[in-house]
Parts: sequence; C-alpha cells; structure tokens
Amino acid sequence: MVWALLALHVVGIVASVAFGRRSIHLGLRLAAIAPAATGVWALMGLARRSDPVVYELVWVEALDLVLRFRTDSVALLMAVIVSGVGALVFVYATGYFGRDAEGGGRFAGSLLAFSGSMLGLVLADSIWTLFIFWELTSVTSFLLVGHKNSKPEVLLAARRALMITGGGGLALLAGLLVLGRAAETTILTELAPVDGAAGTAAAILILVAVATKSAQVPFHVWLPGAMAAPTPVSAYLHSATMVKAGVLLMALVGGAFVDVGAWKILGLSLGIVSMLWGGIGALRQVDAKLILAWGTVSQLGLLVMLLALGTGKAVFAAMSMLVAHALFKATLFLVIGEVDVRTGTRQIRELGNLYRTMPVATASAVLAGVSMAGAPPLLGFTSKEAAIEAALGVTGTEGTIAVAAVSVGAVLTVAYTVRFLWGTFGPGPDTTVTDRRLAMTIPAAFLALTGVFGFIALGMVNTVVGRAATELNEKSSVYELLRWPGLKTAFVISMSVLVLGVGLGALLIRRPDGDAPDAVGAGIADRGLDGVLALARTTTGRLQHGSLPVYVATMALVASLASIPFFTDVSVGHLEWWDHPLQMVFAVTIALTALAGAFVRSRLGAALTLGAVGIAVSGLFIAQGAPDLALTQLLIETIVVVGFVTGLGHLNREFPSIAHTWRNVRLGVSAAGGIAVVVGLASASAAPSGVAPVEALAKEAVDVGGGNNIVNVILTDMRALDTMGEVVVLAVVALGIAALATSPNASEDTPSEEAST
Amino acid sequence: MIATRSPIVRLGIQAASPLALLAGLYLLFAGHNQPGGGFAAGLVFGAVVALRTVTGLPTPLDPNTLIAAGVTVICLTAVAPLLGGNELLDQQVISFNVPLLGKVKSGSALPFDIGVTAVVVGMIMALLDGLGAPRLAKASQPTYPLSSTINPKN
Repeated sequence: MVWALLALHVVGIVASVAFGRRSIHLGLRLAAIAPAATGVWALMGLARRSDPVVYELVWVEALDLVLRFRTDSVALLMAVIVSGVGALVFVYATGYFGRDAEGGGRFAGSLLAFSGSMLGLVLADSIWTLFIFWELTSVTSFLLVGHKNSKPEVLLAARRALMITGGGGLALLAGLLVLGRAAETTILTELAPVDGAAGTAAAILILVAVATKSAQVPFHVWLPGAMAAPTPVSAYLHSATMVKAGVLLMALVGGAFVDVGAWKILGLSLGIVSMLWGGIGALRQVDAKLILAWGTVSQLGLLVMLLALGTGKAVFAAMSMLVAHALFKATLFLVIGEVDVRTGTRQIRELGNLYRTMPVATASAVLAGVSMAGAPPLLGFTSKEAAIEAALGVTGTEGTIAVAAVSVGAVLTVAYTVRFLWGTFGPGPDTTVTDRRLAMTIPAAFLALTGVFGFIALGMVNTVVGRAATELNEKSSVYELLRWPGLKTAFVISMSVLVLGVGLGALLIRRPDGDAPDAVGAGIADRGLDGVLALARTTTGRLQHGSLPVYVATMALVASLASIPFFTDVSVGHLEWWDHPLQMVFAVTIALTALAGAFVRSRLGAALTLGAVGIAVSGLFIAQGAPDLALTQLLIETIVVVGFVTGLGHLNREFPSIAHTWRNVRLGVSAAGGIAVVVGLASASAAPSGVAPVEALAKEAVDVGGGNNIVNVILTDMRALDTMGEVVVLAVVALGIAALATSPNASEDTPSEEAST
Repeated sequence: MIATRSPIVRLGIQAASPLALLAGLYLLFAGHNQPGGGFAAGLVFGAVVALRTVTGLPTPLDPNTLIAAGVTVICLTAVAPLLGGNELLDQQVISFNVPLLGKVKSGSALPFDIGVTAVVVGMIMALLDGLGAPRLAKASQPTYPLSSTINPKN
C-alpha cells in the first residue's frame, strides 16, 4: 500500500506539473488527490489498530541500500498530519493563488513533491531511507520558499534555508553513520542504546541536524526568512510538517541515546534557549506572519526540550504537543494568508476591526490562538498541561530549570498570542477587505475545529497519542491527557501563566517603535554562507585549473604511488627474458618508438610514433597467442592515428617549448609511472594466483554461450551487462563530444591556415 | 589534410570501402566462434568512415541515429528474454537449416553485437565531427575536376 501511495504521489507530480502549466487551480486539485488518499489510508490504519507492517525494497543488500517503511502508530499519526494538512493546504492554495498566477505547474508539482518526501520521511524505518527523504524535503522546500523567484530577497531567503538545512543534512549523514555503526543496525525501530565516544559524537551530530531542520537557536535564522514563501507553503512546511522532521528524528532515535549525557544536556540547552528566544522574537515582530514564525521556533524549542528530557511523561507530552501544534499553527498560518490576500497587508498596526469584516477567519484564529496559548477548553490546553506535568516530574536541578523554562516559555507564548490576535483582528484603523474566498476560509475553519473536536473526543486522542508515545518510550503508556486535571500544581502554574501572559501581551500590543527587526544573526549567517561559497569557488579554481597536462600528471603520479605496497613482492629470480624470442624484438621496437615519441618535436611525428608503439604492442599480443586482442589493438591504433592527425589540424605543427622545471616534473612523473608498471607486473608474475581459468571458461563458452570465441562470449553473454553499461557510456561520451563540438566556443576556432596547408 | 589532395588516395579509399565493409561484416558474424566480434567490426567500419571523412567522401549515416539505434537494439536484446520468463540478458541460441549453407547456429548474441557495432561506429563518427574533420576535409577539398588539383605548389 505504501508503494502504491508513493507511486500515486509521483503520478500526481507529473500530472500537476503538466496540467498546472495551463491552470494552477487544476494542477493543485490534481495534486490534492495523493495526500487526500494517503490521509484516509493513514486514518483508517490508526482506527483499525492493525499491527505494524514493514515494506521493504532491497536494492543492493551488501551495501544496505534498502528502502524500508513501517506503518506503526508514530508513522501513521505523522502521516495523518502530513497528508491531512497537505490535502487542506492544496485546497487552500486554490483560493490563495489567482487563476492566472504564474508558475502554477512548478508550484503544484514542488508542493506535492514535498508532500511525498515528507510522507517517506515519516514512514521511514531505515536510517538511510530517513536520510534520503530528509534531504528531499530540504531540496523541495528550497524550491517552494524560492517560488517568487523574481525577488532577490526571496532568493536570499531560499538560499539561506537550503544552506542551513543542507548543512544540517551533512551533519545528519555523519551522525547516522556513527550511530548505525555503534548500534550495529540501520533499522530505526531496532536501535540499541549506544554509549562512549561514538555515542557522544552521534548525539551531537544528530542534534545539530535536528536544530537546523527544526529551526533551533542558533540555526533558527532561516525560518523567519522563509516567510517570504507563499503562505500555503508556510502553513504546510513551516508549521505542520518539515520543521517537525527534526523533532520526529529526535523522538525516533532518542531511545538510543538514553545513556549519553551530551544528548540530554545539549538537547535541553537547545530547546530552552530556542523556546525563550523564539518567544521574545515573536513579541518584537510587527508582521503577523513573522510573529507566528518566531512562535514556531519557540514551540519547537519546547518539543526539543521535552524529548531531551526523555522520560515517559515527557515523550507523551511531546507527542500530544506535536499534534496540537500542527493543528493550531497551520490554522493560524492559513488565516493570516487569507488576511494578507484580502487586505494586502500583514502589519498588525495597519490591520483593524477584522472581527467585523472577516468573522469566520477571526473565529478560526481565536480558536487556534486559544489552543496555542494553552487555555481551556482546547487541545492545546491539555498538551501544555502535560508538558508542565512532565517538567514537574523531573527531579533535581534539571527539574527546577525545566519547570522554570516551561513556565516562562508559556508566559511568552500567551503574550505573543494575545498580541497576534488583538493586533490582527481587534479594534484599530479600518482596513478595506476584498471579497471573501471560501477555498481559504473553509480549510482554516476545519483545522480550527479539529482542536475543539480533539478536546471533546479526548479519549480518542489519548489512544492514538498514547500508542505512538508508547512505541517511542514504553513508560509513556500510563499517561493520558485530562480535560480537567484538578487543582494540582500544574494547573495552578498554567493558570498563573495565563494571567501573566495576558498582562504582558496587553502591555506590548502595539510596539511603539516602528522597526521590524530581522532575525538576529541573519546577517552573520549570510556572511558565513557567502564565505562558504567563496571558499568553494577558490578550492574549485585551484583544483580544477583546466590545465590538461597537470591533470594527467596528477593522475599518473597518484596511480604510480599505488604501486608502493607491491615493492616487497618483487623477486628478480622469477623474471625471465622471454617466452618467445619474437617478444624481445617487439619489446625493443616499443621502447625505441616510445623514446622517439618523447623526443620528437613535431606533433605529427609524436602521433605517428605513438601509433607505432601501439602496433608493436599488437605484435606482442600475436606473439603471446592472442589474435583477438591483437586485432582490436591494431584497429584501435588505426582509428586513433586518424583521429590524432585530424585533431592536429587545430594546432601548431610543433610542440611549444616548455619551462625547465616543468620538463623535470614531467620526467619525474614518467619515470615514476614506468617504475610503477614494472613493479606491478614483476610482483604479479612472482605470485601467480593459481591455475588459469581458461579451461573452465572455454567449456562454459560453448555450453552456455554457444560460441568458441571465449572473449566474445564473455562480452555478449557472461558479462553482457557490463558490455551494455560500456555501450551506454560510449553513447553518452558521443553525446558529450557532440555538445562540445556544437558549443559556441568550438565553432569559432577554425583551423589555422599554416596547420592545414 | 594531406590525404585529400591526392586523388590516388581518394580513389583507393573509394575502391577499398566495399571490401573493408565486407571484412567488417565477416568479423561481426564470425566473432562468436573466431577472432572478431561486434567491437572489432565497429572499429573496421569506423576506420572506413574515418578515411572517407578525411578524404571528403560521403558517409551515408548520421552518428546520432547510429548510436540511438545501437543502444535501442541492445536494450531490446537485453529485455527480450524477460518475456520468455528468462533472466535479463539471457543468451538464446537458435539453430536452423538454410539451403546451400547447411545448419546455421545463431543466438541473441548477434543482435547484441550488432548494437555494439552501431554504437562504436557512431562514436567514431561523433569523435571525427567533434574534431571538425568534415569541415577540415571540406576546407581543403580539391576543386573539380580532380585532375586540376595535381599541382606541385600545394
């Protein structure tokens, strides 16, 4: 079923690109089919509570190149979020984009490609499958963030997002390699706890990856910038799905790091700092969408912190928070997109009285906002309660810090929620509002209502979230979300948080000064990225200098160095002068013509002497009794000489004179090459590997291949796949030559007169 | 190009072409049991094409067509055994009686070799095109009639 769904995504991508070119709405509707089907499938899987199924596609077993998916509760729950929100976002996008929007096929196709990648990521059960889809989400999100590709600031934001998440991908690759080696498995659900230096290294590398993907301080700078993306993208990627990938990864591999101190300390610091800094950032913004983006940094920080704590209670709280956050944050993004489209601004100081002009959107936003603030009676409240409970459950200094951090973070959350809601929808200057767009209002309202529904049907949420959390940490099974937790410490804390937060928010509703601060450190990040690109250019320039003689000399030298280990195997006693005197004749001819080739001044002479060398080599083959080889060699030499002579028409007749040093270098490289070949052959002949396989091959050639020419049977039958590959390589080379020959540069260099006369 | 100035070379190559093509065909068909094979045959054909190109003689085929055809034939030969339930690239040997020749044995190695030949020839043609051989040959074409080009100053 997973294969069918992934295939459906691929088909959908093709269809939406093809049809979206003409009509973006048609493209988006076609694209919505795959996530909708996946969402229904995942929901049914959750409802049926069937046993997890593993889907495996082995490509190269020895290299562990396996696509492996698993449909356990965590995977299905994430799939419901990814595909459910995805389908809604596609519907929403038909309202967001006008009928004649540019690049419709590109947008619909990239968004569906992202959706498919994200689906693969959440279902992955092998660390390599996870890695592949992780990288795919980075690439597709780059395309989506940079959708309005005519604006330089959009491109800058897209590049920043790609460089940071891409860099995190490298850390992830290294981390997974270390983890896979230390845990002795690449299957995510079977990871055993690791420890020691390897464990610490893997923990740090994976946390770096988590921090880049889930926008944790100091890697968070890409997320506010990515708000340059169309709002459907922000709602989907930057609230519900992609930024959750890091958190999901943490949840999946967390079990392997229970004994690693660095995992907990680093994770807690990342989470706490991000939670607080994100909250402060949200309070400083005057753009409603940026408030949400900074809020996401803060919420993700809370999730990272909970998962770093790693207790059963914390994992449970994190999973429920993850679901609640996806629902309310996506709603808020969808609403703010509608506000943006219908009023033309997202600045909270320019917006006013929307509660009168956009009542449905306001209602959705308020429902989602209340859930975000963690106030009853919504799903967000129960999750926030669980998070505080989890922090309270930790003993010692760690516990005190966790409780303090969660409480302060929650106060900030309430404050920016109040600011966001009041600033956008509350009283203020009257804003002109254009016609309503149902395609935008309905998905947002639907998502907002899920938060209410989740609170009413809390039993269902408990089952689903509980099962998922238990798969991650079996101690989670005893916890559940409560509608009315009773007058306990956690409840007292969350009520005080609400009061303090509303007060703080009310104070800061309209920031007096008008500047909208960019992400602190964004400039540093951009300079860093510029530096990396400049470094790449410099290194490439140094290594790929374009000088053919230097390339050849480098390759020959490296190849010669490879012969060093064989020096000890050489034994002079084994060497014989010849098997047949004729060999000596050819050998002397080869040596003489080769020497002549080295000394001759004219290019034509060099080509001809090289041809002579080749023909003498084919003579050597005949003396050895290999007519096939000799024939091929002879033919090759003929063609090569013709080719050389033709090519020489472009060049001067004689070789240019060369500097003394360079001449010596070339002599040295040649000498090294010669010595390497002699050593290689001498050591090989000193230690023959046993009986030559000719007899067996000759028999097999007749029996299997039906031919007496062993070489030909090997080429066309036994190793036919290799031959096929070589033929394809030849074809590609020919295409490359054709491309070079027809490029503008080539057509200009007409043969010089002196060379052709 | 020295060769194109000489009518003897031109005529010689023109006369030798059919013979060389025959030799190539022989290598192609004999290759399964005797020295030769698709690659060697391709080189012989390639040599003919190369010599004709540098002397400005016409070459009837286009390299891209040859390469495309060759790769197609090889891929078809590769997947054909799958239809019969055999493995990819499995060798199918057939033998049949031909009047006058007697029993003839052949197999799927033959179309495979033909594909190799086509790609090798195409490759050589592309290489010559890339080196600008046809243009060079044209630039130094003798003016018609041939006899007028026998000119010591050139």
